[in-house]
Amino acid sequence: MEPPDPPTITPASTPALEMRGITKRYPGVLANDAIDLEVRPGEIHALLGENGAGKSTLMNILYGLAVPDDGQILLDGTPVEMRSPAEAIAYGISMVHQHFMLVPVLSVADNILLGDEPVAGLFFLDRRRAHARLRELAGGFGWDLDLDAPVGSLSVGWQQRVEILKALYRNASILVLDEPTAVLTPQETQEIFAVLRRLTGEGYSVIFISHKLYEVLEIADRITVIRRGRVVGQRVPAETDEDDLAELMVGREVQLTVDRGESHPGAPALVVESLRAADDRGHEVVHEVSFEVRAGEIFGIAGVAGNGQDELVEALAGLRAPTAGRVRLEGRDVTGHSARDLHQRNVAYVPADRHRFGLVLSYPLTDNLVLTDYYHAPFARGIVRDDGAITRHAATAIERFDVRTPSTTAIAATLSGGNQQKVVVARELDRELRLLILDQPTRGLDVGSIEFIHRQAIAKRDAGTAILLVSAELDEILELSDRIGVMYRGRLVAIVDGPSASREEIGLLMATGGREVTPTGSASPVA
Amino acid sequence: MTLKRAVRLLSIPVLAIFLALVVGAVLMILSSPLINGLDPGLPLSAYAALVSGAFGSPDALVQTVVSATPLILAGLAVGIGFKAGLFNIGGQGQFLVGAVAAAAVGAAVSTAGGVVAIPLALLAGVVAGAAYGFIPGFLKAYTGAHEVVTTIMLNYVAIQMVGYLITGPLRAQGATFARSPSVGNAALPVLFGSNGHLGVLFAVIAVPIAWWLLFRTTIGFEVRTVGASPDAARYAGMRPRLVMMLTLAVGGLLAGLAGAGEILGISGYMPAGYSTNVGFDGITVALLGRANPIGILLSGLLLGAMRAGSNLMQIQAGVPVQVIDVLQGVILFFLAAELLVRRIFRIRAARVQVDELQTVTRSYSSQTPK
Amino acid sequence: MRKPRYGLGAGAVAASIILAACQGGGAGNSTSGSSSTPSTSAGPSNSLKIGLVTDVGTLDDKNFNQFSWEGAKKGAADIGAPAPKSVVTTASADYAKNIKSFVDQKFDIIVTVGFALGNDTTKAAKANPGIKFIGVDQGVCVTEQGEPDPSFGCKGDGAKLLPNYQGLVFKEAQPGYLAGIVAGSISKSGHIAAIGGTKVVPAVANYMAGYANGAAKVNPNVKVELQYVSDQPDAKAFNDPAGGKAFAEQLLAKNKDVDVLFQVAGKTGNGVLQAACNANIHAIGVDVDQHLSTPESAKCIVTSAEKKLTKAVSDAIKRVSEKTDKGGTVPLDITTDSIGLAPFYDFQNLITPEIQTRIDDAMKGLKDGSVDPCKPMKCS
Repeated sequence: MEPPDPPTITPASTPALEMRGITKRYPGVLANDAIDLEVRPGEIHALLGENGAGKSTLMNILYGLAVPDDGQILLDGTPVEMRSPAEAIAYGISMVHQHFMLVPVLSVADNILLGDEPVAGLFFLDRRRAHARLRELAGGFGWDLDLDAPVGSLSVGWQQRVEILKALYRNASILVLDEPTAVLTPQETQEIFAVLRRLTGEGYSVIFISHKLYEVLEIADRITVIRRGRVVGQRVPAETDEDDLAELMVGREVQLTVDRGESHPGAPALVVESLRAADDRGHEVVHEVSFEVRAGEIFGIAGVAGNGQDELVEALAGLRAPTAGRVRLEGRDVTGHSARDLHQRNVAYVPADRHRFGLVLSYPLTDNLVLTDYYHAPFARGIVRDDGAITRHAATAIERFDVRTPSTTAIAATLSGGNQQKVVVARELDRELRLLILDQPTRGLDVGSIEFIHRQAIAKRDAGTAILLVSAELDEILELSDRIGVMYRGRLVAIVDGPSASREEIGLLMATGGREVTPTGSASPVA
Repeated sequence: MTLKRAVRLLSIPVLAIFLALVVGAVLMILSSPLINGLDPGLPLSAYAALVSGAFGSPDALVQTVVSATPLILAGLAVGIGFKAGLFNIGGQGQFLVGAVAAAAVGAAVSTAGGVVAIPLALLAGVVAGAAYGFIPGFLKAYTGAHEVVTTIMLNYVAIQMVGYLITGPLRAQGATFARSPSVGNAALPVLFGSNGHLGVLFAVIAVPIAWWLLFRTTIGFEVRTVGASPDAARYAGMRPRLVMMLTLAVGGLLAGLAGAGEILGISGYMPAGYSTNVGFDGITVALLGRANPIGILLSGLLLGAMRAGSNLMQIQAGVPVQVIDVLQGVILFFLAAELLVRRIFRIRAARVQVDELQTVTRSYSSQTPK
Repeated sequence: MRKPRYGLGAGAVAASIILAACQGGGAGNSTSGSSSTPSTSAGPSNSLKIGLVTDVGTLDDKNFNQFSWEGAKKGAADIGAPAPKSVVTTASADYAKNIKSFVDQKFDIIVTVGFALGNDTTKAAKANPGIKFIGVDQGVCVTEQGEPDPSFGCKGDGAKLLPNYQGLVFKEAQPGYLAGIVAGSISKSGHIAAIGGTKVVPAVANYMAGYANGAAKVNPNVKVELQYVSDQPDAKAFNDPAGGKAFAEQLLAKNKDVDVLFQVAGKTGNGVLQAACNANIHAIGVDVDQHLSTPESAKCIVTSAEKKLTKAVSDAIKRVSEKTDKGGTVPLDITTDSIGLAPFYDFQNLITPEIQTRIDDAMKGLKDGSVDPCKPMKCS
């Protein structure tokens, strides 16, 4: 079959894509169990499911990356076989991955042409013809895109548009977007939604994968929910709501907002005074930051990513030497102390990047669960590891923190994001703590896991632990924090009371640092 | 840990060896007209001679083990580095430095009793190798100088240094051509066969010790963690810089032990222009053994058998020894081009991470540790 | 649903190999037997098995290894023995192992090439009195027990203690001296040069000393540049033509009036010869007739200081076959016609009768002992 170009609106009776009874078994898991999915022309079809529910497997099958054990794929009513991504592309299916498949140093145009280079004569790239076509495509959206700019110089939102342009350039008629909004600001999200609506208006079909319920409700024409490899329901946004979808997705009633109860703050546990820190290139990115976190309270730091939060947290966690200032833990000066020392002083740290810091992906869970405690009893005697104790500890922790894994020796990389984060949380929270630093603790997780981790944090707070929560998700900050500090360009520009803070107020501080507006109500600039 | 996992781990090395033998056979057939006329049976007679030369008699077996000894030690030197994410190409230099140190101290104590002389000479080789391995570790940790570059450079430094020592201060009085004095009583006793010297036991002992250290101790856990994820290691309170220095020093120690064993166990002195490929063959051994001590033992024995058997292959089949180098090169090629092997044999990518190959690839772009 | 696109190919390859292996299993023994048949079918009158272990390098190095190998082949043919076998050494650490493989295969005569194998050849000769060893370029130096002498006093009588070991030692100073006579005579500038591989190899140093002494004999005012490529007998010294060429170019750039260049550096020296050709000056080859062995440089090679390796090795084999061999160092010099100058070929006209007379006189003097090629410059 020839790739449809340009896509034509076929009668609604024939779906643009139909996947029938798709079944895929992996050793020990039934990843897809007779899944049916039907996408109509000109439709945005949301695929909703928790991490590990089988969304990725289904899309890999559609994209020719995996072979189903059973089932059928039909395009415009014709059965087809996808043997490779190249074939999928030829059939007009295109995938925009969550992590963009772009080469930062290559230009926009070259990135798009990569793998499908227009050839003039035998060997020479016909750039001119390709550029003309790209300009035409981009112009259609009113995008003023510099085709010669290196992709690395573009914002994340624009990079995503480059990915979409790439799909269109290859005559895609069905676009699969894997969590396209995960990396976008609310503003950019709205912009990309506009693009998607326009595309469907022109007859393209879009499969939109997400677990952000309100987004799905906003953008999708229809929603298919899968859980544990099965389709558990199909909804139209008008006839459903977040609670209904969450329940379908998780399989039980979910509290989307955790009841945090009342906090009973005690004495200050962490006191930060005029802290300064520099980034890897030696530029100071944390300027004179001062705050305190009291025992039994959650202090949230809100801010757009990249305003010095990473360096601040690393300085507090012993991974980065502060250039000036003091850090006191329960009265003792711990400025510049090592990560190991802080760990021994009952400080725990859940890092933002669990793949890079929090876990060793190639290690089994047993080793990951003792990553920070491997060196002392009961896990080691002298230099000799006690594998028995390590395994027993893993079994207990996995049960206590409800980590879904085939075994204690499963490799961390094979777990879903939510379960990976549970492993980190299990390791860091499963002891008595003075201070807990949570850096983006629920980034990329599904609702079930988010709920779980939020509950754990509240429980720790109620047990008297001081908690520093850093998050770029404003909702998370608002939901958990007893007090909220806002970081803007390396400074803590305001500290406000948590329960009474408004979304708009914090959002404005995040965006402007509060300089162009008078601080309102409870906001008190500290910088 | 199961049989399945073992099969998955072994499949690529085994298939790489198999493909190398096929390529070697094709080369032999194609080049046979140059020797005795086209002979399609040549690979069979050559490989038969190779096997017989490596395993065909007690003498052959001893020679295989003796040839494998330095390869296993040098393979461990490289393999332990892989575990820590370091590509130690300096085995050759560390080997030579260990060899010359053992030759020098061995000669100095050559008249003392063996009980004293042997440990002293061995200790000298081990300490010199470790110190020589420590240098790139230190440079990496504190200046960020990449170990691939520094170890290669230090190989040349070692060659020139050994050349200077043997033709200069260490030159034996009265020798017509430059060489170190005989190590006398520091020579390792022959335990079995005509040349199965004590050094063989070092490799036999080093393998389980390396395995135990890597997988059963906190030190090994730190080494592996630094290799798998330096950031996670730092997060976990480990000290990657210290671990890197330690790992490269231990690698140097093992390569130095290999060098000392060759001098004290085989030649009994060090001649000027002493040449060996052990340091570089160690890289093949480590890659083929997937950086695992047990795997290194097996691949060291395999390469040792090929080296031992190659002579009979030359004698009986007239196939030049360079074929062994070709086989080794092709094995390395297929290990590196793992994807190609998977394609040829339609093996799905295993989820197991192959850390040593990652190290090889990553070592050309990696960053300075913090 | 997916067709095994690669499986078929791989399966076929595997099947054919297993098939071949099965066939081979039965024929394996006979194959190895038959492969040696062609060489023996010539009807050998002699069953001596001859093996040769090379020094580090290749069998076709146009030098030591190759001409010793030619000698082994010639010797075998002359006595009617089966064609000899060879083991090529790839690293000096393997000498003992390589000798041992011929011992294990019960060979009758083992030729080892190069002074560096002397120690291991001595040990093997001591351990295997039933096997005859021929060491090329190896002076026999043993203790009174017949072991390699660690003090190099050479107290033991090699001929008695190791009657099975002939150490062939050439007097390199003699051909070097003759080369010096030629160089000193044909040089117009009175400034000549020689490039050696490394000083630590006695053979090299001896060639060089003889060369300087010969030149000084015919021209007392001659300036002789003697330089060495390397400090040790490594690849740079003997196996690096490109390096040798660069080294020679440098020497010639610094000494612009040098008009004769003698090489004593094996394959490295072949680069030296090229540099001489490019500079349009005369060159003198070494060890073998380089007019023949390095034809690319033949146009500037006046002659070569020859060690007649092929003859020396084949003679030694013949002595074993005729049971006239004696152990110990076998000195090879002009008296047995084992050294000399190669023909002049196109440069014959350069050699005036006067020069020819000088050469003839020198040869006579060397033969009767009235000329010492190791004076005034000492040999090693």
